[in-house]
Amino acid sequence: MSVLPASARVEPPVTPTSPQRDRRHGGRSQRPSSHGPRSHGPRWPWLLLAPGLLWLLVLYLLPLLSLVPLSLSEPVSRFGLETVFRGRLANYQEVLQAYGPILLRSFAYAALATGLGVVLAYPLAWTIRFRGGRWQPLLMGLVVLPSLTSFLVRAIAWTSLLADQGPLLQLLRSLGLIAPLEALGVLHDGRLLNTATAVILGLTTNLLPFLVLPLVVAMQRIDPVLLEAADDLHAGALRRFTQVVWPLSRPGLAAGILLSLIPAAGDVVNPRFLGGPNNQMIANSIDNLLLVQLQAPRAAALTLVLMALISVAVLLQLRRGLEELPLP
Amino acid sequence: MTPFAHHEGRRTFLRRLAWGASGALLTPALLQACGRGPGGGGEGADREGGDKEGADKEGGELVISSFPLYIDPSRPGAPGSVERFQRDTGIRLRYGEDVNDVRQFFARIRPALAAGQTLPQDLVVLTAWMATRLIELGWVEPLPFERIPNARNLIASLRKPSWDPEQRFSLPWQSGIAGIAYNIKATGRELRSIDDLFDPALKGRVSALLEMRDTMGLLMLADGKDVSRPSWSDAQPSFDRLERARRDGQIRRFTGNDYQTDLLAGNLAACIGWSGDVAQLALEQPDLRFVVPESGGILWADVMLMPRGARHPNAAARWMNWVYDPPQAARIAAAVQYISPVEGVREILAKDPATAALASNPLMFPGPAEQRRLHLFGPLSEADEARWDERFARISQG
Repeated sequence: MSVLPASARVEPPVTPTSPQRDRRHGGRSQRPSSHGPRSHGPRWPWLLLAPGLLWLLVLYLLPLLSLVPLSLSEPVSRFGLETVFRGRLANYQEVLQAYGPILLRSFAYAALATGLGVVLAYPLAWTIRFRGGRWQPLLMGLVVLPSLTSFLVRAIAWTSLLADQGPLLQLLRSLGLIAPLEALGVLHDGRLLNTATAVILGLTTNLLPFLVLPLVVAMQRIDPVLLEAADDLHAGALRRFTQVVWPLSRPGLAAGILLSLIPAAGDVVNPRFLGGPNNQMIANSIDNLLLVQLQAPRAAALTLVLMALISVAVLLQLRRGLEELPLP
Repeated sequence: MTPFAHHEGRRTFLRRLAWGASGALLTPALLQACGRGPGGGGEGADREGGDKEGADKEGGELVISSFPLYIDPSRPGAPGSVERFQRDTGIRLRYGEDVNDVRQFFARIRPALAAGQTLPQDLVVLTAWMATRLIELGWVEPLPFERIPNARNLIASLRKPSWDPEQRFSLPWQSGIAGIAYNIKATGRELRSIDDLFDPALKGRVSALLEMRDTMGLLMLADGKDVSRPSWSDAQPSFDRLERARRDGQIRRFTGNDYQTDLLAGNLAACIGWSGDVAQLALEQPDLRFVVPESGGILWADVMLMPRGARHPNAAARWMNWVYDPPQAARIAAAVQYISPVEGVREILAKDPATAALASNPLMFPGPAEQRRLHLFGPLSEADEARWDERFARISQG
C-alpha cells in the first residue's frame, strides 16, 4: 500500500505534444501500436501511391539516372549532341577542382539564408500562433502572399530596393549606419546590390514561408497551458522559449530547414540578379556549362555532385529528425 | 506621327527578359517547350498560304526569328515593315522576336539541326560569330543571291566579312559598336580609354558585357593586340586583367543588356555597352555618353541566315531583297538606331526633318576616321573558342 499522499500519485498530465510521446509514436498519433506501420492491413492503400511513384520514376528518377552515364562521357564534337561513354571520372575531378569553391559558397549562402530565415521565422510563427487570435488565417496568408508573385519578379523588385540610390541604402545613410555595416561586412564599398548580402537577403525572402508555415503548424501543437505553467514556475521569456517552445517546435524547424536549404542551395535567380560575379552560385555554373560552354557531361557531373551533397544533407537531417517531422 | 518614330532598341529589354528566363529555364528542352515564337506552330501550320513566288517547295508562310524590338513596329496609320512587306509582296510573314540570347537560341535549335531535321524558320537573325559556327557546321544554306539584287546595296565595310569570307551564307541585318558608356555626372569626368574603366575611383560601379567578343575585344585593343586574328596567347594579359578586376570588385557585374537599367538607376557610373542602346538611353538620361575608346571599338554585326532545309528560300530572298531596299532599310534604321548595312539610308534619313539628326549621328554612320577605329573580332577556331569560353565563364561567373 502506498504511503504517498494522493496528490503525489497523480500521473503527470500527458499531452499529445509532449516530446516523450512524440518520440515514442513518431509524433503522429496516440494510436495503439497494433495499428502501426507493422500491421498487416490491406495492401490497396499502396496503390494510391502508384501514380505519384510512377510520376517520380519516369519524370525524375530515370532522367536523373541518365545523367550518370552522361557525366562519365565525352562529347564527340563541340556542337553535336552525341557523347561517348568513356567512364571519364576526370569530369568529376575537373568540375570539383574548378567549381569546388563555388559549391562551398552555395552551401554557405544557403546555410546563412536559412539561419537568417530561422531567426526571422521564429518570432513571426510565435506571434501568429500565440498572438494571432482570429487573425491567424490572415497572417498566415500574408506570409504566403509574396510567394504568389513569381520569384523572378521578386528578385527584380529587390534590385530596386537595394539599388545604390534605393530606399534601403538611403535609410541606412540617414541613420548613419553605413560605416558600421561596412565594418561588419554587410555592405561592400557602401553598396548592397551585387553583393553576398543581397543574394542572402533574396534567398531568405524566398524561403521564409517554407520556414514559417511548418513552425506555425508545429506550434499549433503546443498547448498554451504549458507556457502558462512555465510562467507560473517563474520562467522568463527566454527560459519559456528554450525549455518549452524550442523543443516542442523542433519538428517544424526540421521540416522548415529541409524545405528551405534544398532550393536555396540550387538557386539560380537571386545570384544572377542580386549578386556580382563574386557571388554566383553553383546553379549558375551548371547553367553556363550546359548552355554556354556546351559541356553537357561536365554539367551532368556537377549536377550530380550537387544532388549528392544535398542528399547527404537531407539524409543527415532525416536521420536526426525523421520522427520529429510533423506528419498529420 | 512619323513612321520613323523612336522606339526601344533591339537589345533593350530582351536580355533583361532573357536573363530572367534563362534562370528559370535551365534546359534547352524547357526552352524549346516554352518557346512561343515561330517555332511553336510546327510543320503543319498554314500550308495553303499565298507564296506568290510559286517556286518554294511548300506553300505557307515565311517564318523569321529575330531579336525583339529590332524592327520598326506597326503604329496606327504607319504600318511597320512586316505589314508593309506582306502588303507589297502578298507573302505571308510570321516574324518572331524569339531570339533572346544567341547562345540559348543555339541551344534550342541544336537538337533538331544536329539530328538532320529542319527548323520551322526560313531565316534567323543571329550574331556574326554564331554565323561562323553555323556555317562551319553546315547548318545553314547558301543564300540565293541571284534573287537578292538589292544585296549590292550592302555597305563596303561589311562585304566579305571574316565570318563569311565568300559572302555566301549571310547578309547583315544591323551592326553596331561596343564601346564605353558612362554617366558624366557619376564619373565626374569624360572617359576616353579602357584604362578609365579600371580607375579605382570607379570601383564597384563598372560593368562589362557577357558577350565575350565585345569585352575581350575592347581589352585586347587596349593592350595593343590584333582582334581580327585573336590568339589565345595574345588574350592572356587581357583575361588576367579582367580576372583581377573581377576579384578586386572593380567590376560590379557582367551583364547582357541589363546594364541599361543599372546605368539609369545610377548603380553604374560606366560600362561596356552598345552604341544604339546608349543613343536611345541618352534621350531619357542626358548625362549618358557613349565613346569609342582611344584604342578602338569593336564593330559587331547581326546577320540573316537561312537554316539548312529552309522551306521557303524564295520568299526569304524576297524579304532580304525588300529590306535591302534603301527606303525600307531607312525606316528600320530610324527605329533601331544601329548601323544600317544598306547604302543610301543616310541620304534618305537626312531628307526627312524628323530623322535628319540621325543622319549626322557618327554612331549610326561612322565616317572614315571613325571606321578606322572600329575592329571586327575575328573568328576563333572550335578548340580555341572552347577554352576562351571556359576562361571567360570562370571569370564572369566567379
